[in-house]
Amino acid sequence: MLSNLISIPVMLVLSVFQMTAISRINFLNGSADLILLATAAWGIREKNSNSIVWALIGGLMVSAASAMPSFSPVVPYIFTALVARLISKRLWQAPILALIITTISGTIFQHFLYIILLQLSGIPLDFAQSVSNVTLPSLLLNFFFLFPVYVIISDIWKWVTPEELYA
Amino acid sequence: MKSVSPRNLRNAVVVFLAAGILLLAISGFLRPILGVVMDPFISTQRWLSERFMAVYDFFTLPRDITDLLARNAQLESEVSSLQTQVIQLQEQLQEADVLYSLLDFARARPQDKYIAAAVIGRDPSPFLHYVIIDHGTDDGIQHGMPVVTEQGLVGRIDAVTASAARVQLITDPGSVVNVRLQNQNSEGQISGSVTGEVTLGMVAQNVNLSAGEILLTSGLGGNFPSDVLVGQVLEITRTENQLFQSASVQPVVDFNSTRAVLVITNFREVNITPLIPTPGP
Repeated sequence: MLSNLISIPVMLVLSVFQMTAISRINFLNGSADLILLATAAWGIREKNSNSIVWALIGGLMVSAASAMPSFSPVVPYIFTALVARLISKRLWQAPILALIITTISGTIFQHFLYIILLQLSGIPLDFAQSVSNVTLPSLLLNFFFLFPVYVIISDIWKWVTPEELYA
Repeated sequence: MKSVSPRNLRNAVVVFLAAGILLLAISGFLRPILGVVMDPFISTQRWLSERFMAVYDFFTLPRDITDLLARNAQLESEVSSLQTQVIQLQEQLQEADVLYSLLDFARARPQDKYIAAAVIGRDPSPFLHYVIIDHGTDDGIQHGMPVVTEQGLVGRIDAVTASAARVQLITDPGSVVNVRLQNQNSEGQISGSVTGEVTLGMVAQNVNLSAGEILLTSGLGGNFPSDVLVGQVLEITRTENQLFQSASVQPVVDFNSTRAVLVITNFREVNITPLIPTPGP
């Protein structure tokens, strides 16, 4: 219960930080996505469906601020949480590898979904240009922020999780 | 006659001698002799003084160093406090500069009413070019209102809440603005892209488009007021077998460093959709 409740302030802080600071740190036209990274990190640490709640809360907060089609940001975050659960069960001895695979698959799914949705809503997007100028730089920036976010989320997870579960 | 006693005479001689030596010393005649006599004493005194001061310092300096360190820390604290104040004042000065520039722009266009707002965020999606401002419906901001800076056109209000609003920049891939060429009797359209580049299109082939041409809003379509500066033509792409010319455009507004904007509140977006003819059955 606490791990569900803690997702609200954590995702709120990350959303605000994302919009005010991280979105301004660009490489070409890409930028990191703290919500996706936090969802992936929580999904790797937490083995139950709790990470879906984190994805949902984060997705709703991003949806409220973003001009993307309604509630579309929720989908890639839930996908990321599901991938994190699936991967962490297969690679439970290598959480860092699981985290990297989750981040790659989550970022690529998110960007492909956004490109398709924006094209469907009538915005002319060049696919190759979008991938080379936005998706790949975003992936690189996600890797840059991945481990700091993982450390913070791990600390929060240890704080809210009873000690016998991870000792 | 009373004779002078030998004792008094001796005293008088001693006094005269002492006075004479004193006069000679004052007048400088004894300097070489005094030098020879006093130098060893002075050297001894200097040596003793140095040793004494060394011993004195040994016992007193630690306390002084502590005092100095405390004083140094206090001064460093004051310096950092003053530096913080300087940075805050510089920040306020920059804000004041921006606001003065916006005020100048507002004075230059007295027919419009403005609300100044600060840019507080950007859209989380890297595919879109939107900014979030700190004023909303509580301040009279509505959907579709144009947003400008002292430099030129920024975009238009896309969504509003009570205390914030989202602005679609002219660099957004979904943005289209009707413009006119300042030195030509011609019009065109500028559109954004996912990379933030702005392209001028829909310019007829017979128009003599040149680099450096200034672009202003035309007011067509009813989305923006007319004659707001938009940008400058950079590079022209002209292909003979196409209907229109196109060109890359340098917007006048630096969207990465925009901190404050003006929302034109007395402009009402015109919905021309009902006027657009639909194909008959």
